[in-house]
Amino acid sequence: MPRSLLNLSPRLRPLFCCAYLAAQLVLLLRAQASPDFVFGFQMFNASSELKLSLYREFRHRGRSRVVPIPEGVWETKDQSGVLHTYRWQDRVRYRPLLALERYVHAAYGLDAQLFRLQLALRDFAQHLAFDEETEAVIAEVDTRRNGREPGHVRLREARR
Amino acid sequence: MRALHHAWRRIFAEERDAYVLGLLRLAISSLLFCHGMRLLLEFQRGGYFGNYFHIPMLSERWLPSESGYRLLLGLQVLASLLAFIGVWPREALLTASGLGLYFLTCDRLQYHNNRYALLLLGFLLAFTPCDRSFLLARGRRRTLPLEQRLAPTFARRLFQIQVSLIYLGSTGGKLLDADWRSGQVLFLRLAKAPEYCALHGFLLPASVVALFGWAWFASIAAKVAIASELFIALGAWLPRTRRLALWLGVQFHFGIELTSDVELFSWLMATSYLAFVVPEVRERKVEFVSSNARARFFARLVTSCDWCARFECAPMPSADGHRATFYVTNRQGERASGLRGFVQLAEALPLLFPFWLPLALYAKWTAKPRALAPSSA
Repeated sequence: MPRSLLNLSPRLRPLFCCAYLAAQLVLLLRAQASPDFVFGFQMFNASSELKLSLYREFRHRGRSRVVPIPEGVWETKDQSGVLHTYRWQDRVRYRPLLALERYVHAAYGLDAQLFRLQLALRDFAQHLAFDEETEAVIAEVDTRRNGREPGHVRLREARR
Repeated sequence: MRALHHAWRRIFAEERDAYVLGLLRLAISSLLFCHGMRLLLEFQRGGYFGNYFHIPMLSERWLPSESGYRLLLGLQVLASLLAFIGVWPREALLTASGLGLYFLTCDRLQYHNNRYALLLLGFLLAFTPCDRSFLLARGRRRTLPLEQRLAPTFARRLFQIQVSLIYLGSTGGKLLDADWRSGQVLFLRLAKAPEYCALHGFLLPASVVALFGWAWFASIAAKVAIASELFIALGAWLPRTRRLALWLGVQFHFGIELTSDVELFSWLMATSYLAFVVPEVRERKVEFVSSNARARFFARLVTSCDWCARFECAPMPSADGHRATFYVTNRQGERASGLRGFVQLAEALPLLFPFWLPLALYAKWTAKPRALAPSSA
């Protein structure tokens, strides 16, 4: 008979089963409270859509200004006059958040994508080295939850 | 108390034939291999996930470095390959699935339910005696004799529970979602199905497209989908409903595969049904007239498609005065030929199983009182 470390002794078998099932139950229940239902086996995506538009906020002559980021790209000079290009798509490779200015399917539901978008904005804002101008990045999101009335969400992430 | 003791023994001490678990290992390890190759390709094309926006579920310091990740991806692919050919198959399965689960926790963006389900099922399969058959690396001795295949199969029960949990989790999510219950979600999905099918090179008939455009159809379909998943989750446990539940599951996943992009999910779930197959082998019989070339070919065909070793093929002498060239005897001892024989084959051969219910209904509809042949047993 083949020997394997994975042949559990009769004593260990019930323990293994109970531990596994308890872990599964906890993960399933926790998933219900999670915005993206991770570990929750929500197999079918909702049919919601979102349209993402990016903006950046900076100070100009003492006043706060918000300008759009067309195509997710802008250029700015640092103190030594060197030009730097910043591109949303260089940092965020996650497909549902890649497309800008057009409706795309919100995989795993709107809440999941808005949750991930907030984290993506934070990540992007933290990776703007040499940009001494931008103070925050903003996402204006048009939403369509399962084909119903459109909605709008504004997410803002300040640089730290 | 005695019943409890009996149930306890049945779950944790029962020893069953592990032949089919070997086949399940082949299927799961090949899916793990595909999954590993997909991650490897994503790595080659898109680069290391840690260099871009990612959402780790672990602390950043537990994430692998770029070269470490590459190494672990290679190890995952190698482990799934070893599991497939049967070299330390259980340890290899555990390695491949364990690494996959680790990768999921490294980046939440890589999480997909189908990937998670595959990794969990691979993990559980490693604790079953799936190393007693289909050991391809051993050449002709790839299957151990029966006495060595008998082993504790408690983890098979866990595997079955996991399959049911996947369906129950999915059903629960839909039941709690008012848009799903009402059919609104499905209505929008079905509206996109013609476009999706066209992208994949085939056009849906106009009548089907029209049907998909009706809200009441989506509403009914949503309720049917929820009920189907619930039936598959629970029905697979009862011997009386198991076959119907698994057949429904195959059709359900075929439909999903046609209309949605769900990676390996449909294949995974159809494969996982092997865990519900009765473990004992050769309990059915196919008898064929040995002097008839067509019958011999038919017997060879059955043998080559009989991946779960359901049938014992036995030649019959031609001078026996049989009316048919082949007979199929099922587990209940019912011996049949012709269409009813095919039905009995379809209920046990994986390739024919999708046709089982229509064939069975047609056979019942056209049945004559003398269709059953007397049992030779």
